[in-house]
Amino acid sequence: MPFREKSAWISLLSMSGIYGIYFGSVIHAGPQAGFHSGNLLGTIIALVVVQVVLTVAAAIAAPKEAKAPRDEREKLIELKATRVAYSGLATSVALACLFGAFNPPIVFNTNALLFILVTAEVMRSGCQIIQYRRSA
Amino acid sequence: MVTIRNEIRRLRFEHGEMTQQELADKIELTRQTVNAIEQGKYSPSLEAAFRIAAVFGTPLESVFHYSED
Repeated sequence: MPFREKSAWISLLSMSGIYGIYFGSVIHAGPQAGFHSGNLLGTIIALVVVQVVLTVAAAIAAPKEAKAPRDEREKLIELKATRVAYSGLATSVALACLFGAFNPPIVFNTNALLFILVTAEVMRSGCQIIQYRRSA
Repeated sequence: MVTIRNEIRRLRFEHGEMTQQELADKIELTRQTVNAIEQGKYSPSLEAAFRIAAVFGTPLESVFHYSED
């Protein structure tokens, strides 16, 4: 598997898994719970550590590929994936703004926006993987 | 449907059984991209197409063929 595809898998799985645990705890705590700032900080630290360790391991396994700049096909794949993710992000933010008119608790708004950001990033990585698989 | 066929695989073998990696290094693309071009799954930019033709010392139309099915 090429290095760029591995990076996309690392991003997809680490974000889905680690943020999945975080959002699971938020849902479990219920709507009246406070903002899980401690949990969120731990989630971000865990995500950074996991992504750095796995990306370094992937780069050690394929140092030449990791050092090489993205070529035209890889740039195109990244652009297409970003376009798809941006569409999802823009639509979701617009819906969140509409929902904001109903005065939901600030905790809900904050976590909803975080969820939208994470989903957009997962969509971006997912689209990259699909395109790498299609043109492999 | 528009398809772009190519002769890269044949040309590689006619040029000392050049590997995809060797061709990729010469035209500054990744091996995966060369493989995708060869299989017709990715159409290269005009610049990359000219670089491929230059490696084999042949005109562009000898490497890529355009056809409407």
